[in-house]
Amino acid sequence: MLHFPILKYILRRLLQAIPVILGVVMLCFLMLQLAPGDLATVLAGESGGATDSYISELRIRYGLDQPVYVQLWVYMKNIALLDLGFSYRHNMSVMQLLLERLWPTLLLMGATLFLSIGGGVLSGLFAALWLNTWKDHLISITAIIAYATPLFWVGLMLILTFSLALDLFPTSGMEDVVMFYEGWAQVVDIAHHLVLPAITLSLFYIALYTRLMRATMLEQRGLDYVVTARAKGLTESQVTFRHILRNAILPVVTVAGVQFGALLGGSVVVESVFGWPGLGQLAFDALFSRDYNLLLGIFFLSACLVVIVNLIVDIIYVFLDPRIRI
Amino acid sequence: MNFNIFRKTFFTLILLIGGMISIAASAKSGGTLVMLVQPEPPTLASYLSTSGPIGTVAAKVYDGLLEYDLDLQPQPSIAESWTIAPGGLKITFKIRKDVKFHDGKPLTAKDVQFSIMNVAKVTHPRGPNTFRSVTRIDTPDSHTVILNLDKPAPYMMMAFSGYETPILPKHIFGKGDLRAHPNANKPIGSGPYKFIQWKKGSLIQLDKNKNYWKKGQPYLDRIIARFIPDASTRTAALEKGEAHFAALGSVPFNDAKKLANNPNLTVTTKGHEMISPVAEILLNTRKAPLNDVKVRQAMAYAIDRNFVVNNIWFGYGKVATGPMSSNFAPSGLYTDKVKNYQVPNGVEIANKLLDEAGYKKKANGYRFEVMHDSLPYSEEWKRFGEYIQQAWGKIGIKVKIRLEDVPSWLKRIYTANDFDTTGGYLYNLSDPVVGVHRAISSRAIKKGRVFSNGSGWSHPKVDEMFDKATVEPNLKKRGEYYAIALSLAAENIPIIWTHEMNFPTVINNKFKDVIVSPLGIYSNFDRVKLK
Repeated sequence: MLHFPILKYILRRLLQAIPVILGVVMLCFLMLQLAPGDLATVLAGESGGATDSYISELRIRYGLDQPVYVQLWVYMKNIALLDLGFSYRHNMSVMQLLLERLWPTLLLMGATLFLSIGGGVLSGLFAALWLNTWKDHLISITAIIAYATPLFWVGLMLILTFSLALDLFPTSGMEDVVMFYEGWAQVVDIAHHLVLPAITLSLFYIALYTRLMRATMLEQRGLDYVVTARAKGLTESQVTFRHILRNAILPVVTVAGVQFGALLGGSVVVESVFGWPGLGQLAFDALFSRDYNLLLGIFFLSACLVVIVNLIVDIIYVFLDPRIRI
Repeated sequence: MNFNIFRKTFFTLILLIGGMISIAASAKSGGTLVMLVQPEPPTLASYLSTSGPIGTVAAKVYDGLLEYDLDLQPQPSIAESWTIAPGGLKITFKIRKDVKFHDGKPLTAKDVQFSIMNVAKVTHPRGPNTFRSVTRIDTPDSHTVILNLDKPAPYMMMAFSGYETPILPKHIFGKGDLRAHPNANKPIGSGPYKFIQWKKGSLIQLDKNKNYWKKGQPYLDRIIARFIPDASTRTAALEKGEAHFAALGSVPFNDAKKLANNPNLTVTTKGHEMISPVAEILLNTRKAPLNDVKVRQAMAYAIDRNFVVNNIWFGYGKVATGPMSSNFAPSGLYTDKVKNYQVPNGVEIANKLLDEAGYKKKANGYRFEVMHDSLPYSEEWKRFGEYIQQAWGKIGIKVKIRLEDVPSWLKRIYTANDFDTTGGYLYNLSDPVVGVHRAISSRAIKKGRVFSNGSGWSHPKVDEMFDKATVEPNLKKRGEYYAIALSLAAENIPIIWTHEMNFPTVINNKFKDVIVSPLGIYSNFDRVKLK
């Protein structure tokens, strides 16, 4: 009986998401028109010079000679059929390109979400428990430093320390390109390459969630239900873990869901520093080469990811706090 | 290695990986060369686009008719011999009989004919220009190719490398749309390395072609082209030995010195003799006051080229005298006997010239203001812009700096012509006809054509000399024509040519015979071997 309304809810949310996603794509399409220069000039520019007929031929070929509303109409029609078009720059279908780059992105993000929520909740929890001791100060100051440090710098320092000086991790990439491991060895190899980028990308969010967790823990601790729980004769650890923690974790989950989009953005820097073959890097290149089909495809995929993650967050609420109904 | 600290500090996930480190760290590279390519090539269709990184990979897969030695002399490759008929209107190539494409099919005269007439002459960005005088190609037998020309084209003999004019298999590329061909990113050629796979965003794998026509070559089992967007990480990967080779701007100039001190690495500037980039400040001569030759000369006098080379490019470069690189000095085409702007009292002369031109200093100390668009490539170009701002500030020209992204910059300079000055560089390439003419010839003033005559300046005498030099087979006479054109260019200075750029190439000492061609990173690497 319980599962039925959840499924209905999910279906309703997914249907609501369709106009949101289409709106995002349309807005992105129109905004991209404002950027000067087009794919044809970039391709010709990269060629180090080209004849005029070559450039105009490129324009006709990519449909860039059509008016904007025609280009938009064609694009929206295709996207409704889940046809994301062709990247002329990469000479590949956009869907194929995205799928190839999706899983490194998901891997990096998954690891980052896990590390940052786990690390943030734990250190925030301990900071609150050790309130105003030197341990609390240490955690808080570390969090502020991590929060204020630019990602690329953290990445480079980790490379210099753990890769060059200590020789523990590879500098960059996702796999050992000389060995090309297979099977379990490949899994280990990828995990080995994942450590530094995931830590780099997590640090900022760990800091954020630590601060948030600490604050909500302190706030919850003063509420009436805590007094009631204590009055029932529960031990301090029972009060903390069974009552306060569960309530305090809700805002962290909310913020994590909202920040998933920002995580996509932050990964551009980390992907660039660590040569991680993810979507962020692809988006960056697509923007600078005016490969709009590809860029819109990435926007589309990102919009879908954000919608799905927020849906998952809403469902997690229900399990964390049974009072929340859907 | 101190794993104990690790265990205590990190979570269980990292613990697991920590234990595995020893396995991965012991990896030896064997016969694999990892080269850094930056940026990642958009495609591998070197017959469609000459974009830098494409050629660095594709030139290992596609053979050319000829190769070139470090003195820029043509050497046999899949053409074992060639003859040029007197008058230069007929060129005959004899093709080797033992050359096979990677799919096992033999390479014949038909493939050569197709690759020039249907590919290079049609789809290549420079090809239509290079081969414009080729009217017909005859193939009297399966291994003889005769090029028929309507005008002599001596410069063409320099354009037969696998990088510039790749020989494609007709049975594959002859079918379907050449501009969106399924094999564009899965190249099949006859070169020393076979294309295996492309993991977008990380690497391209090329394996040894065991049936390569040069017996025993190539020596390496594998070449991996790796893409690391961040410059500092690239340097770290080279230092650590994860990558073995980097060239053409993939190593930042400020890191080159540090890498040169590493005992495991060699840094060289060889391998750009057929590329020869010349850095410049492009002046928009369509606009006042830059349409005044005295103003342009003053601006040229105010720039200290030695300072630019030593401080912005960390010594990687040589002061330029004009659009042509001194790499053409051995063939007699280059001359430095032109107006010289690199003089000790340059600022003084510049101030005098500006006064004469009627641009007196105003109350605020400035004569007029220009906007400088910094080239949006690497960091050096920003520094270059800042230097120009200071240098021209000394002669009373106020400079504002603007920075846009590459597509906006290209459009502003070459389509809209809406700029005052900008930094940049042009490749001289294999011959001045291909690389130099486009900068100042009147025919290269065309809206929308990138990396052409951006200054808008031209001179009938220069055009005439260029036309003569294009069809003149005698090197000495060509040199005389160019001497006239180059001195006119220097006198009128529509572009301030600052220096011939040298790029540091970093090679891991485990390997040898990496740079054995004037094409450097664009050569086929069939002689590279482990020490």
